[in-house]
Amino acid sequence: MKWLPFELHTHTPHSDGTHTLLEMCRKAKELGLSGIALTDHNTTSGMVDAASVTEETGIAVIPGLEWTTFYGHMLTLGVPYSEWRDLGPTDIHKGIDRVHEQGGIVGIAHPFSLGSPICTGCHWEYAVQDWNQIDYMEVWHETLPPMRNHNAPAFETWTRLLNEGYRISGTAGRDWHRTSDEDDPPAFTYLGLKHENGLPGTEDVVDAIRSGRICVSMGSLLELQITCGEDRYGLGEVIDVKSAGAEASCELKLQVIPSAHPGSQTGSNDPGRIIIIETNAGEMLRRPVNEGTDEIRYSFSPEGLKWMRIRLSGMLNGALTTLAFTNPIYFEGAAS
Amino acid sequence: MRELLAVEGALTPLSSKTHITYQLYIPEGIDVLEIEFAYDPKTLDDKEASKPLIEEAIRKYVDPALQGVYSRQWDKFHPLQNLLTLSVDDPHGFRGSAHRHPNHQRHILSLHAASPGFFAGQVGEGVWKVTISVHCVVTQECRYRLRIGEGGESHEMASV
Repeated sequence: MKWLPFELHTHTPHSDGTHTLLEMCRKAKELGLSGIALTDHNTTSGMVDAASVTEETGIAVIPGLEWTTFYGHMLTLGVPYSEWRDLGPTDIHKGIDRVHEQGGIVGIAHPFSLGSPICTGCHWEYAVQDWNQIDYMEVWHETLPPMRNHNAPAFETWTRLLNEGYRISGTAGRDWHRTSDEDDPPAFTYLGLKHENGLPGTEDVVDAIRSGRICVSMGSLLELQITCGEDRYGLGEVIDVKSAGAEASCELKLQVIPSAHPGSQTGSNDPGRIIIIETNAGEMLRRPVNEGTDEIRYSFSPEGLKWMRIRLSGMLNGALTTLAFTNPIYFEGAAS
Repeated sequence: MRELLAVEGALTPLSSKTHITYQLYIPEGIDVLEIEFAYDPKTLDDKEASKPLIEEAIRKYVDPALQGVYSRQWDKFHPLQNLLTLSVDDPHGFRGSAHRHPNHQRHILSLHAASPGFFAGQVGEGVWKVTISVHCVVTQECRYRLRIGEGGESHEMASV
């Protein structure tokens, strides 16, 4: 598995962004990103420059779009334009089907931003009848995301849906419209890519997001592996507890990998880093961690578990906050 | 310069979250299609009129624990804006959209070039659709003007 940092929510002058795709990808390279998803509002026409920009910058450009509707903003990845202008607030599944039928995925952008008349559609107001159809949710939005008010209810809603048994991926999106020297630090969405060679393609990125092979971070990468019975599992995977044996005991192995990215604002020697293991049953472990050197090992029983996620807490801009979180590893068939 | 459509209309806040679609026949032999679109006003400048609208949005969308903080800074959201966007469908389907904020825009579509947001390609004969998506009208009245015509020789890719 190769973990590469991506920016999944971007705009150019093809909608209301101010930097061209080339300018943005040059900046992405400076920040240490491997790729971006181009998600202009309601059009994919910006992809016309993608091949030449990738050739010049080495940054992968994945086709996407931000469905900028009256009742919510929905990111679609891996597909061309899909029709939204005929959908009312109870019709979102009709729209989602149009994306899925073409092999793409959908994600709710900034679900708790302020809505109309401040920003029409920026707050998610569609009635979702089946949360299984939502592939991902942008739980960290904008730069310096752990400190933005509207990301707190987004993260809580994601957690509640995981508790209810839905397997929805959690991502970050800068909603990148412009670049200046005064920009706050961005988050990185590390995607676990199965093909280790070359630039990842659209299908690789779509598959990583759909499968939840994701670590979202202000810098360091959290690497997690769980051994249960004979088998090993990574982020996004489902551990079948029954097949692991009735008396199953699991062990997790976890490391905090220092960021190699110049855009990262968190230094590896900052004090006060704490690893938190979170599950549907609550917090399981809290332990100080040193980046790069410590390998945390922890044995646990999967009893009662639906999901497990790792969060890294520490200091950022003088405040104690979440620095990184993984997507869950899921459990199936555990007695509760 | 051949004019193919010239319309105008008046919108009110009740027009928010609606689409206005003009369907028009584009004849054969047009190389460049030019679309001019404008609406006025762009902003609700009356601060006293915008205050209750902003306060209502804060009550609706902000966590109750933070509503007081937001309400004290309500004027950070002033002025509220009208937002109308334009999209185009040719006889074969979606041809692009211009989701951006300036309220005076000019777009050009032709075989080899198109304004940002639109796809280059033949200006084919048949029934086209041009849709104004009325995201938000906050002023008591908002007037729009839409003009579609055969583009000139300049091929200027203007999109303000």
